[in-house]
Amino acid sequence: MDTEQMSTGQLDSNKPGLSDFWQSVVIVGVIFSVVSFIIGLFLGYRQIAAEPTGSLISPMMISGVVICLVTCVAGAVAVWHYTREVTQYLKLGQGALIGFLTGAVIVVVSVILNEIWMLVDPDYTEKMIEAVIANVEAMDMPQSARDDMADAMAESVRSSQSITQQLFWGIPITGLLNLVTGMIATAIFGKKEEETF
Amino acid sequence: MQHKWLYAGVLAALAALVLFSLGGGFWGGEATARHWTHNLFYGICHQIPERSFHLNEIPMAVNSRCFGIFAGLFAAWAAIPLFTRRLSGNPWPARILLVAVMLQILDYSGNVMQLWENTNSSRFVLGFILGAPASLTAGTLFSTNNHNGK
Repeated sequence: MDTEQMSTGQLDSNKPGLSDFWQSVVIVGVIFSVVSFIIGLFLGYRQIAAEPTGSLISPMMISGVVICLVTCVAGAVAVWHYTREVTQYLKLGQGALIGFLTGAVIVVVSVILNEIWMLVDPDYTEKMIEAVIANVEAMDMPQSARDDMADAMAESVRSSQSITQQLFWGIPITGLLNLVTGMIATAIFGKKEEETF
Repeated sequence: MQHKWLYAGVLAALAALVLFSLGGGFWGGEATARHWTHNLFYGICHQIPERSFHLNEIPMAVNSRCFGIFAGLFAAWAAIPLFTRRLSGNPWPARILLVAVMLQILDYSGNVMQLWENTNSSRFVLGFILGAPASLTAGTLFSTNNHNGK
């Protein structure tokens, strides 16, 4: 038996199962959702406490950008974790699946954390809406544009509180973006094993 | 080319992503009501109207940078079959992706520190530059001759 045959045999006998995927998915998903939740909460209270400056670059806007980046990178980190802890040999489809599931876990855990925080501070959403409207009111633009913007942003904050909406809309989009980053990580960190698809 | 079904599925999903991100102006929404496409992207984009392109006087469902990223992801993903052989084991998409990430950080930081003021067009272009190599990096794995360049 030559070296190549031996290594293929070893691969078959040690083929990772579903639980090995889930370990990376859940660990990375939970960590990233907690981190993004804390960042969101911190910048949310900064927005509430801040004097309305009329600037577009507000804590809420920074929060949106940072959370987006953090959540989209999670799929890549989950695949990296998998290649470190389980095996470097993974198929592109497996990397994509790990990425998508990580995105789904992030959305579900974030919904749970948001609901828990609503028990801790039930007025958070209303305070946030007031702060956002106050900031928009201070902006240097025509009154009609200000009103439209204030309505849009208040509605945006309000609609984020629906559990169904968060899950229904959040999982496909966050999942898809993490699926892409999961595949990128597969290309960077993974090693290819012979496969048919 | 291998993983054809995965490729086709992601292509369809990215096409939907771009079409949905066009927002109520494309999908027949009204300026006065919040469109469902805005709910779709709430979790990943700040959706500030002033930083978004408008279609039929309605802001798109994502800001100009996110739209650039989605458009770049889709355009490059659609082009993968044309470059499958060239992409095989090619380290350049990943390198360009790294540079594109640094460009985003630089542009965003400069704007926050008021060193310059970016525009919808500049954000779109920078977003596109990030999205396209992201797809091409994943595209390096679609060649049947691929060895990950390692």
